[in-house]
Amino acid sequence: MSETTSNGNEYGFLIDASRCIDCRACLVACSVENEVPMETTRIWIQETGVQGEFPNLARFSAPYHCMHCDDPSCVSACTVGALQKSDNGIVSYDQDRCIGCRYCMYACPFQVPNYEWKEQLPLIVKCDMCVSRLSDGRSIPACAATCPTDAIIFGKKSDMLVEAHRRIDQNPGKFIHHVYGETENGGTATFYISPVPFEELGFPTAEESSPAYFNRLVTHGTPTVAGVVAVGLSSVYLTIKHHAEAMAQGNSGAHSGNHAGPKEAEGAVQGTAVPQNDTVLPQESERQEV
Amino acid sequence: MAGASLGALAIGQMLPIKVAEAARLAGLIDVNGNGYIPTMCEMCVWRCGVLAKVENGRVTKLEGNPEHAHSLGNLCARGQAGLMNTYDPDRVLTPLIRVGQRGEGKFRQASWDEALDLVASSLQHIKDTYGPEAVVFSSTHNLSQVQFENLLNAFGSPNYGTQRSLCFNAMIVANQMTYGLEEPNRSYEGLEYLILTGRNLMEAISTSETSILSRAIDRGLKVVYLDPRFTKTAAKSTDWLPVRPGSDLAFHLAMLNVLTSEDRYDHNFVEQYTVGFEKLAEEVRPYTPEWAAPITDIPAETIRRIAREFSDAAPNALAHNGWRTSNFVNSFQTQRAIACLNALVGNWGIHQLPAAAEGAGLGVPPQPPYPRASAMRMDGVPWKYPLVPFKLGVFQELRDAIITEQPYAAHGWFIARQNPVQSLPDRGKTLEAMSKMDFIAVVDIFLNDTAWFADVVLPEASYLERYDPLNVVGNKAFIRQPAIQPQGEAKSALWIYKELGQRLGLQDFFQYTDEEDYLRQQLAPLGVTLEEVREKGYAERPEGEENPFNWNTPSGKVELFSETLDRAGFNALPTWEEPPRPPSGKFYLLTGKVGRHTQFGTQNNQLLNKYEDEPRLWINVNTAKALGLADNDLVKVTSDVGEVNIKLWATEAIRSDCVYLTPGFGHLSKGLTTGYGVGASDSVLHVTYTDPVSGSQALSQTFVSVTAV
Repeated sequence: MSETTSNGNEYGFLIDASRCIDCRACLVACSVENEVPMETTRIWIQETGVQGEFPNLARFSAPYHCMHCDDPSCVSACTVGALQKSDNGIVSYDQDRCIGCRYCMYACPFQVPNYEWKEQLPLIVKCDMCVSRLSDGRSIPACAATCPTDAIIFGKKSDMLVEAHRRIDQNPGKFIHHVYGETENGGTATFYISPVPFEELGFPTAEESSPAYFNRLVTHGTPTVAGVVAVGLSSVYLTIKHHAEAMAQGNSGAHSGNHAGPKEAEGAVQGTAVPQNDTVLPQESERQEV
Repeated sequence: MAGASLGALAIGQMLPIKVAEAARLAGLIDVNGNGYIPTMCEMCVWRCGVLAKVENGRVTKLEGNPEHAHSLGNLCARGQAGLMNTYDPDRVLTPLIRVGQRGEGKFRQASWDEALDLVASSLQHIKDTYGPEAVVFSSTHNLSQVQFENLLNAFGSPNYGTQRSLCFNAMIVANQMTYGLEEPNRSYEGLEYLILTGRNLMEAISTSETSILSRAIDRGLKVVYLDPRFTKTAAKSTDWLPVRPGSDLAFHLAMLNVLTSEDRYDHNFVEQYTVGFEKLAEEVRPYTPEWAAPITDIPAETIRRIAREFSDAAPNALAHNGWRTSNFVNSFQTQRAIACLNALVGNWGIHQLPAAAEGAGLGVPPQPPYPRASAMRMDGVPWKYPLVPFKLGVFQELRDAIITEQPYAAHGWFIARQNPVQSLPDRGKTLEAMSKMDFIAVVDIFLNDTAWFADVVLPEASYLERYDPLNVVGNKAFIRQPAIQPQGEAKSALWIYKELGQRLGLQDFFQYTDEEDYLRQQLAPLGVTLEEVREKGYAERPEGEENPFNWNTPSGKVELFSETLDRAGFNALPTWEEPPRPPSGKFYLLTGKVGRHTQFGTQNNQLLNKYEDEPRLWINVNTAKALGLADNDLVKVTSDVGEVNIKLWATEAIRSDCVYLTPGFGHLSKGLTTGYGVGASDSVLHVTYTDPVSGSQALSQTFVSVTAV
């Protein structure tokens, strides 16, 4: 099904929830580096909240941004080619092509793309692995470069996956035995390891195969725009419905930084798949508990 | 930097939006070439090395400098957000002179000449009328503080207020009594067992120490963490001990009891390098884990297990001093117990190391001797607090003396880079003290809460816009240098103090022509040029081959029993002092850091505000239920000296007898448009209690009630 095949030159992230201290240095670094408007964000924190009863408590968190899927649903849902999967693994975004339709937001099984709701000509907001840094010699995205606890590391995608498994194998009692992102949505370039099940971090339980294939059938294969919209949306709707159901089960994740993330996105799909104005407008952000 | 597509973003769309506006308003900043300028962070006092990315005269990004031991290439959220302080639209960019009533916030813009003349003539008038002691000088931990101290010493006032008594007096005085130094450096290399007493390193972030601790935990370091709250550090610890506030001392006395009574101490180290072991063993004999259990709420078997594990790991065991453990009037004793505990496991020279003195090996401008102090200090040092160093002082006592006018009245207050309205306990009292002043001048980059009540505000250049004296870390002296030209008419502290000194007839004390000349004089003994240092970011400095086993104490050894304490009439051995407990219906009021903020100076930073949570009052879920309160309810918090309204966070993450409030919020100044109106001020609630030995303010000894609004 996948259109892309690994060329061995792809970048990737490894994010370790056992190391994240929820300091949010990565969030600020990303905002500054990428000049992200104040009311939105490319990266936020998913966390378990305080688990257990006093004094037997636990709490884990992890920064969350675009997974850079191998076969990205957003790319296939984008009717104008504003989103592209590059050879280096980056799911990139070209604002000059974007028409602001927000299909990508509904197509993404990880509910990653954000929107500049308050701008007059709003754009999509999502991680591009700081492509500008990669090209100007700084070599590492801003989030990974500043992380004081090495909770985010960056490198060759294949190395990241090896390292993820190495850490689990070396410490089988410490981590759950699953690398999130390895198979989700058909595979991604962002790998997570965690001491607690990913649902407890509020991560979507994405299908192992990407719905991108179906999206492509309609967005690239149907002659009229009307058809594209009608059929595309129903495909998107099915995708979202699945996610909404998945999210409804035990998502205790909280978010930092005005993100209309998984939890809020449930509201976006109630009853209709047609993007209603402001249905995922970040109201008062769901501020994370201190 | 963002390539062609992002480059299409007009400046007005760039983030932070107000940054662009501010940059526009400020006009074009002089360009020093695009690229990276090595300098030093000032978002907290850890002073990480940063590389400031400059494009078209603007700082567009800050990176951690990999060559700096405090950043190790990383920056925390505050460090990353630092450029927003520089580009904050609330910056004060010209001198201001008050035109309305104090506290009305009405000022007019003035020239530097007019403002400096007014400050100098006002201070001189007070000096001529009442003596130099009638002017209080206060400033908080910053690199230009050395020249601030120069100004106050040359002026001749003995009255100096620092934040140190609100922070770490207990730790410093206890280390001085035990090891003859303020605070040892710590090494985590090979460390196996760490006890953190309220040291919340995952939220009170010192970038490199947080990084190193995190890596050590990853490789298997055992961490025992004492805190009434389940913090981000508790979440990473092997053992979280939700200790009763004020009883950390009992825990550490019981540790000393197990190590001495079970013969679990380093005999070689103790015999060779310490004095008073027998007396210590005798003193702690009654302090068994069984004794400590009901006091601390930590089971005796847990304390005994930890004591045994700690000694088993020796010498790779460390009890961290903590930073702001000055939470009760017994905190000095807690710090002494910790200092002795480290000695018993013989970790000196391995995990505790001597630290280089500030400014060691650098040149200083020549100057005449200072005049003799004209009067005794108002804060009781040394006549009431004989062991408190002059540089530390007892700030809350100074504030109270201003109100009572005992031993005499103060008439002027010169404040630099400090916000006593928010930092001192009992804000009502601080405002009362300010109201007694004939004249108040404030140096800051913002109209902070204290500046709001000032008569003159002198705008300082931000840390990305100015030079400061060099900062020594290990074998390097690091530079803070301007990455961009100061905006508006802002000036460096070095320039401001020199200008004031000249107008006060004290020019002989300020023998530097400008900031660069000051740095050249500092660098002279190192044989390096300023140009080299500007480019590289630091100068190498020769490190002395000092014998670490040579302590600057009266005995030259580690003093478990302190003659100095004994002679001053205090307990010479760490000993139990029962702290007060909240009466029925009241709670311990705790404060403590969050990773986005430093004290009272960062709440106006738009980027930090973007990613900070709304500050709420932590309360245990069961306590809330018993009070008929629910999560997010608005409540009134009342102490003996004040009350605030704030929303609740009902959580399992705190003891049922405590509530916690994030410090630094609840700003009074409407000149802080982002921070004003956010959260509630802990300083409104804090009652003033001072530790008689170290002069520390006991910050958790305030008890509050919580009621529905």
